[in-house]
Amino acid sequence: MTEKNEMLAIILAGGQGTRLGKLTKSTAKPAIPFGGRYRIIDFTLSNCANSGIDTVGVVTQYQPLELNAHIGNGSSWGLDDQNGGVTVLQPFSSSEGEKFFEGTAHAIYQNIEYIDQQNPEYLLVLSGDHIYKMDYGAMLEYHKAKKASLTVGVIPVSMEEAKRFGMMNTDETDRIIEFEEKPEHPKSDKASMGIYIFNWPTLRNYLTTSFTTNKSLEDFGKNVIPMYLANNESTYAYAFDGYWRDVGTIHSLWQANMEFLSPHNSLNIGDHNWRINSKAQVLPPMFLTNTSNVNNSMIVDSCYVAGEVDHSILSQRVSVGTGSRVVDSMIMPGATIGKNVVIDHALVGEEAVIGDGAEVKGTEKDIAVVGYGEVLGVKKS
Amino acid sequence: MKHNSVSAVINLVEPWEKLEPLTDARPVGTLPFGGRYRLLDFPLSSIANAGIQNVMIASPRSGRSVSDHIRSGNDWNLDTIRGGLFNFPYNDLSLIAPEKKDTLIHHYYDNAILFLKRSNSEYTVVMGTRNICNIDLKALLRYHKERDNRVTTVYKSVDASEVKPTNTVLQLTDNGMATSVVQASKTIPSSEGKLAKDLNIYLMSTVDLVDILNEANQRGDLISLERLMKQAVIQHNANAFEYTGFYANIHDIPSYYKASMSILKEDNFRALFYSQRQIYTKVKNEIPTFFAKSSQVKGSLCGTGGYIEGKVDNSVIFRNVFINRNSLIQDSVIMQGTRIGVGTTIQNAVIDKNVVIGPNLELKGTPEEPLVIGKGKRIFRQTEVTNE
Repeated sequence: MTEKNEMLAIILAGGQGTRLGKLTKSTAKPAIPFGGRYRIIDFTLSNCANSGIDTVGVVTQYQPLELNAHIGNGSSWGLDDQNGGVTVLQPFSSSEGEKFFEGTAHAIYQNIEYIDQQNPEYLLVLSGDHIYKMDYGAMLEYHKAKKASLTVGVIPVSMEEAKRFGMMNTDETDRIIEFEEKPEHPKSDKASMGIYIFNWPTLRNYLTTSFTTNKSLEDFGKNVIPMYLANNESTYAYAFDGYWRDVGTIHSLWQANMEFLSPHNSLNIGDHNWRINSKAQVLPPMFLTNTSNVNNSMIVDSCYVAGEVDHSILSQRVSVGTGSRVVDSMIMPGATIGKNVVIDHALVGEEAVIGDGAEVKGTEKDIAVVGYGEVLGVKKS
Repeated sequence: MKHNSVSAVINLVEPWEKLEPLTDARPVGTLPFGGRYRLLDFPLSSIANAGIQNVMIASPRSGRSVSDHIRSGNDWNLDTIRGGLFNFPYNDLSLIAPEKKDTLIHHYYDNAILFLKRSNSEYTVVMGTRNICNIDLKALLRYHKERDNRVTTVYKSVDASEVKPTNTVLQLTDNGMATSVVQASKTIPSSEGKLAKDLNIYLMSTVDLVDILNEANQRGDLISLERLMKQAVIQHNANAFEYTGFYANIHDIPSYYKASMSILKEDNFRALFYSQRQIYTKVKNEIPTFFAKSSQVKGSLCGTGGYIEGKVDNSVIFRNVFINRNSLIQDSVIMQGTRIGVGTTIQNAVIDKNVVIGPNLELKGTPEEPLVIGKGKRIFRQTEVTNE
């Protein structure tokens, strides 16, 4: 547990998520539905609330409407605190010009007035697009114990995966001595999770100096961490060994949903001591008709199932007509699947309509995607 | 409708004896229904859908289960600086000690009078919870305003065969006025064989209601609000508003069971839950329900947070229910948090919340006399159920 205003969390939720293609055409990546009744950002918001952080800023930029509606006043996560709460930070015009941002560190700089208002000792910077459960309070304890200026959350990855991440090379005390972005020959297995705890006055000083002189500190990975290392700031790696997934691509999003389906998933979504909350809608219970056949699947409120659902997730208000078969797929809220439809290895976007007899077939390597509100009526070969 | 021009009183003092053991520790109003609701949710949703934000709830006892369910009233838009939700406990006269009654005799309705006066409302609707319906209270108000009578009450036209002699019905005149609320045995069905089943909903001006309560206080009448409302119908000859949507009356175990089974019919389910007027309830953050490889679920309603391995047929399964493999749940109601053991068969039964049923047991009732297992029970031996 952190003390009041000791640590402020900023969730970076402004990325476009271009690698998610059709799914992020009209919404921000953190607002994408996950696991039947969540949106990706719920994991980070719940982690904040569960870690005792009561003041959270969510930095948005790209297609923020759905995300704003989802976050509301933060009451869904118990973050509607009298003295804290969630603030959605949207770019705005000021006398210095418009406050759109380029990189992760620039996003913090553009919101410096909000952070100054909160006047925190420590700044926790988070991404809004990861699936995991983590106690940021424990990370802060570590940060204090190490008397660090910056602590970076790291997760062990295989040497093959390491080539896709920012890798932290540490000494025997876990002090970071080198940072390599997507190295060809990784020297450690510690990948940055994009989770940082900064001593705010120090970071503030670096950012203001940098942006009032030249614009070099745009990105935490590319610019800030190298500068901290070059200036010999005490920078430590905090190892996290739980379930953690970056769901930035169609395949990784599908994969994480399929993992979520397993009752043995180490994310342990049913653990009441670390609940993942979401904006709860009041909807009638799910209805499974006499012709339904559901196996190895997760279903939520207000679904109507008259067909077969196998190893799939149905989100709220999804209907599956008679004679249809949904296999190895994740169907997002409000999608309507007609009769005698086949959906196989697919992600189906919110409010999509799949007409009778249509087929949406992907493969494990090439997941099929139906976009938000997309209407498929004709039979595909 | 002008803001706060209508207030509502939900009266939870209702006959509960025939619903035991389901009503051992809760008023009829917090009886779970339909996979994720309480009976109280239906009047509260009608109130929310009509934009009413001044609501008084009269609980028979402490109202613990009532407060736990409604909390701030936020889920029904009642957590507002303009009005809000007011919960008044200990209204069941049968539980009040004789010496306490003396101090209460001219003050029993003080709380309600104060609530009504402070509401500044023009009209007040008084509702019970044992008649499940999804009524448009705005339409009821329009109907009332178009007519001169001081009281409007509500009925559903049902086949006389569906009404028990002890159920209450409205006695209607030829021009559709209600002259009294009487037991069905004391009235004759219409030529089409219909009876006007009363829904225990009363609408009148707030001033008139305050007068009725004041007069009862002055007379020293220690009688239930429901009886006062019925007297008002007799006294004033009420307008009778016909409700035509889904309806079920809960007065004993078989009627509760029958109502639960009736919403498994898709038409009824849609009429109750997918009309223009949504049914609200306390929101919970449950995880999705997992249907294991071995599960076979047909013709059933399920809440979230469940884990189902067994076979479920024509049943209502509430939230957080765990149904182990090789089990069979048929024509039954399984409430929140209950766990069913491996290889156990349950037919025509109502299992209350947080019950644990062990493996390889048979729990069977009949459609006319469903088997009921009370809240929190642990059943591990066949003899524990065969003797009940």
